[in-house]
Order: sequence, then structure tokens, then C-alpha cells
Amino acid sequence: MSEQRPVTIAFDVMGGDHGPIEVVKGAAQLTLDAPNVHALLVGDRTLIDEALSQVKHTAERIAVHHAPDFVAMHEKPAVALDARPRCSVQVAAELVRDGEADGMVSAGNTGAGVLACARTFKLIPGIRRAALATVYPTMVGHGDKNDPFSLILDVGATVDASADDLVAFAVMGAAYARIISKNMDPAVALLSNGTEASKGPARVVEAHQTLATIKGMRVIGNVEGVDIPKGTADVVVCDGFVGNVCLKMLEGVSETVMGLAKYAYKEKLLWRAGLAMLSSGIERIKEVTDWEQYGGAPILGFDKLFIKAHGRSKSRAITNAGKVAAKAVKSELAKAIQSSLPS
Amino acid sequence: MSLTDRIDPRPPKKIYRWDLDKTYLQTEFDTLRQLVRTALQKAHEKKAVPGAAALIRELRSSGDSRLCIVSGSPTQMRAVLAEKLHLDGVQFDELVLKDNLKNLVRGRFKALRGQVGYKLPVLLRSRANAPAEAEEVLFGDDAEADAFIYSLYADMVARRVGEPVVYQVLQAAEVYEDDINRVMKVWESIPQADPVRRIFINLDRLTTPASFAHYGPRLVPIFNYFQAALVLMADGHLNAGQVLKVMVELVQTSGYNLFTLSNSLQDLLRRGLPIAQVAQSLAEALQGPQAMLQVVRPVPDIIAAFTKRAASLGAPPAPLPTKDIDYLSLLDHARPRTHKKRKI
Repeated sequence: MSEQRPVTIAFDVMGGDHGPIEVVKGAAQLTLDAPNVHALLVGDRTLIDEALSQVKHTAERIAVHHAPDFVAMHEKPAVALDARPRCSVQVAAELVRDGEADGMVSAGNTGAGVLACARTFKLIPGIRRAALATVYPTMVGHGDKNDPFSLILDVGATVDASADDLVAFAVMGAAYARIISKNMDPAVALLSNGTEASKGPARVVEAHQTLATIKGMRVIGNVEGVDIPKGTADVVVCDGFVGNVCLKMLEGVSETVMGLAKYAYKEKLLWRAGLAMLSSGIERIKEVTDWEQYGGAPILGFDKLFIKAHGRSKSRAITNAGKVAAKAVKSELAKAIQSSLPS
Repeated sequence: MSLTDRIDPRPPKKIYRWDLDKTYLQTEFDTLRQLVRTALQKAHEKKAVPGAAALIRELRSSGDSRLCIVSGSPTQMRAVLAEKLHLDGVQFDELVLKDNLKNLVRGRFKALRGQVGYKLPVLLRSRANAPAEAEEVLFGDDAEADAFIYSLYADMVARRVGEPVVYQVLQAAEVYEDDINRVMKVWESIPQADPVRRIFINLDRLTTPASFAHYGPRLVPIFNYFQAALVLMADGHLNAGQVLKVMVELVQTSGYNLFTLSNSLQDLLRRGLPIAQVAQSLAEALQGPQAMLQVVRPVPDIIAAFTKRAASLGAPPAPLPTKDIDYLSLLDHARPRTHKKRKI
């Protein structure tokens, strides 16, 4: 029997805004694009079969695991997981824990996904709290691939992080950038209210001091909020509360700019003409900042990988989330993080 | 073979009908370049679809069957195709190829691409010479119209489809009038029977299995020949040891492993095929002492993988319903893939 073991990614099929079809379609496409990656579809078996019947796939690389329940977007994670322990995201996490799959992807309720991981996976030795990382578009390219995205973490998993947690987040973010973005020497920075080492709350100042002592990691000190969209750092580190506020603000600014553009388009013929002239440039910006190419946000810190795809992910984003998960598994991200931690 | 058999061969109890390109052989002819390369390939350069040769050898091993091959490949390729089958240890009783040179000379251009007008009469003529009680299993692929042709052939022999429908179908498939008359005449000469037990469609183009739902549960789309072997075991054509031999060929020659095999098994279970018992028998057979099984060790892992995949599905689905096929609504399936009227 051939011993070459494929990488298997468990997909929580039930949680996304578009229902099972987009997740199944994305997972099926992943197995066609990457022959050594298998998909384990977790959720209501009837709905999965119905979705699979509509998409091109190869049955040799897809398996289904029935899970009778799921957590809806609006539900409180702890309450939902306690009430329905056989929900798809929890079952998917257990399958990963038991070695049936190597990593998992979910487009469902973020809190439920993080909680399922926390209840099921182990933290990497040396890591006290997990972090949710996400990419965001910046003005400059990063790494060998001239990637327009930077990584920010934590954006919501650990609301109140200590100095040690921030240091661990920095190490995890740098490892992720090295492995996934192929940015071999990422610039890592702490988010603060000034670039000076003494600026910021005590935990940030303390983390700054510790980070300065870590060898093999390019720490550029503190960055301010204004540096986030500028792309001054490849990896921006903050606690979950600050990170989440920043992320939502970036999304809000983006929506406001789009709203203003729409207003301008309707208001004056001259402005409309101006926007029309800029349209190819706008399209290009949309292309390079297309979040779907990144698929999702990794939860870092556990011994197993979880990629949280956006709730409104369509099949392409799911496929890419699966590819990122497979890449992280093949590159042994957890081990890379552990070996980078200060002893 | 005994002396009696040589003097008076036993009539076949089973007939296995196979297509060649994309069913038995891994053939690419979507572009002119691929077509030329396929035409120039020598026998040893041609590759069989993984597991196909082993499956045929096992099906033929009981000695009471016939292997009838009907292919759209040109008659000029007979020698190389026969040699390839010989190299694979496949013994055939009929090998019918398409005389497209004759079609060209006679100016019958529609017949060059048409599959229905070529395969249907060949199948019917072969059936006319077969014992009425002989059961049939047919193997085709999703590249052209095999599902349609095989199903129509089965229902014509069983008289489940009427003359007006067949006539309309043949006209829609642009079969020449004299060929239509020949089809009708051969059909009349065949005694009514219901011999076709199963139709397998190899999903070379990864067409979704659901696309073949119109053809009912008799037709089983397959992703590989391990799946066909499992269904044939459930149908009583193969035993567990023979299925294992197909499995071994897939493992040894094509990189299959316990993940791809157990996923293939689960796919059939999900589609409602009654193979749960087969999986159990196969798991038991895997524990046997045969040396052949060394290549598919570790056996406990395989048994665990099969069992796990079956158990992870929850309640089994309802069996697939049987209903008459509405051929007139499927006329598009009878047209060549590149036909301008074909919408699917």
C-alpha cells in the first residue's frame, strides 16, 4: 500500500452565509487543483450530498462525515456548543484532533470556531493564548512575492493580552508570514500610540523590551495606527481588543470611500466622467487587494490548524482557505512556531 | 479447457461489453495533436485506465463469459489495439471498430461523428447472436453518448421502449434512413429478454454522477474500477478475492491507497448503492493469508478505514427509485458532444 499520506482538510460545511453549496464547491475544487489534498466534508450528510451532486469533483479525494447540528451566525458560541455538542464545527475539530484530518476550515460563527478549537486542540507549549490573525491590503508590497497584504494579530481571540502573549503573537505572526507569504525576513512591529519604545501601556512597553532580545526575528519596534495601511510592518501585533477595533475601522473606511464614490457618481456628470477614467485603476486595486485570494484568517497558537474563512466566502475563497491550510500543515507551522519561541 | 468444451464451447452465461477509448484506454483526443499522437501510438505506449485490465481478467476467469468490445476507433487501428489487449492479458471474443474510411468514401459525413447510428446496431447484432438467457454488463464513459446508447439498447431488448420513440431518437441522432431500417430489422429479430443487469460509466471527464440520474439505478457512474468491482461483487459477478485483485492492481500501478479506496467506497454508499455487506465481506477477505495481500498491508488500517468511512455517514439513504427512461427528453445526450444543437 502506498505510504504517501495525503493532507486532509476538514471543512465545516454548515456555517457560511451562502449555505453548504459554496463550501462544498470550494472544497471540491481544492481536491481537483491539488491532487495530494483530500477534503473531509463535515455537516448534514443529505445537504452535502445534494451540493456535491451539483459540482465537478473526484470522489477518491473527498469523504463525508455526518454531523447533525450546526451553530448559526447569531448564536452565542458557548451556549450553542454546550447545547449541540455534535454540531459541525465541533465534530470537525474532533476529527482533526483524532488525526482524521490535518487542519480545518470554517466559514461559520467565528466565536464557535475558536471555542471549539480551544476545547479540542492543545496550545503549543510556550503559548498561553491563541490569536486570530488576518491579512489587510497596504500601500506597499511585502516579501519576495511583493504581496500587497500585511498580517495583523490578534484581531479578536484574546481581548486582554499580556506582554508575554504579545511576544508569542509576534513569533507566531512571523512564522506564518515566513511560511504562507514566503516572506523570509518579515518586519514585525507592535501597535502603539507612538514609535518610541517607552510609548504605550505597560504590557506593550514590556513586550517591546522582550522582543528586542529575540534573535532571528526582525523587530522594527512600535508602529502607529497610521502605519497600518501604509504597510510599514509585515506583521503588526496587538491585543484582540485593539486589533478588532482596527480591523472594523479599516472595513468602515473602505465602505465609506465606496459610498462616497457612489454618491459622486450620481451627483455630477464631471465626477462620473472622472470615475470612469479611473475605472481600470480601481479594478486593478480591487484585484491586488482581493481578500478571497487569501481565503481566511488563521487561528494561531494551537497544535492543530484552523483557518476561519469569512462568513460571506464564496467557493474561490474556500478553495484558497483550504490551500493555505494545506500549505501550513505541510510546512509544519505549529512546529515552526514552537521552535521560534524564546526559551 | 476440457476436450468437450473445445468441441462444443459452453454458451456464455454472461456478456461483458466494453468501449475502448476513455473506458478501457486512457485516450486523449480533444485536440488535433492528441488525436494524431493517439493514432501513432504503439501498443506498448498505450495506457489502460487503472484497474480495467484486472477487472476484465477477473470477470473472465470463470470461463463462462464473452468479452465484446465495440469502439469508435478506426478499423485501421485493429492490430495495435488487439496487441495492447493481448499485452494486458485481456482475451476478447469480439472487437468491432468503426469503418470511417467507408463512411468518408460514401459521403456519409454525419456518420463520421455519430455514435448512436454506429454503436446501437453493433450491439443489437451482437445480441441477436447471443443466447437469450445470457446476462450483460456494459462499460462505457462520459465522453460521448454511452449512457444513452447502452440504456436505449437495454430497454429495446427488454421492449420497454416502443418503436415510435426509437425512430424519433434515431432521427434526432441524425442516423441515415437506411441505417434506421437496419436497426429496426435487427431489433425485430431479437427475442424479448431483460439481459442488461448493469451499466457502468467511467467518469473520465468528471461529469457529476447526478447528471446520469435520468437513467435510473441500473446505470452506475464510477470514478474508478474499484467502485465497479464493488458493485459487481454485490451483483454476484465477482467474489471478495477477485475484488482484492483489482484493488491490488490499483495500488501497485496507479498509486491508490487506503484513503482513495475508502473514499471511493464511501461515495458509493452515499449514492445509495447496496454495498454495505460487500464492504464487510471485503474486510473479512482482507484478513486472509494470501500472499497477494502483502501489498495492501497494513490490513487492520484498511479495515478500519472502510469501517470508519461507512460509519461516519449516519443512516443509509433510501434505495434509488426505478422508473422508465424518457429518451425523448434526453435527445441531447444522443448527439455528438460537439454538435451545434447539443446544449449540455
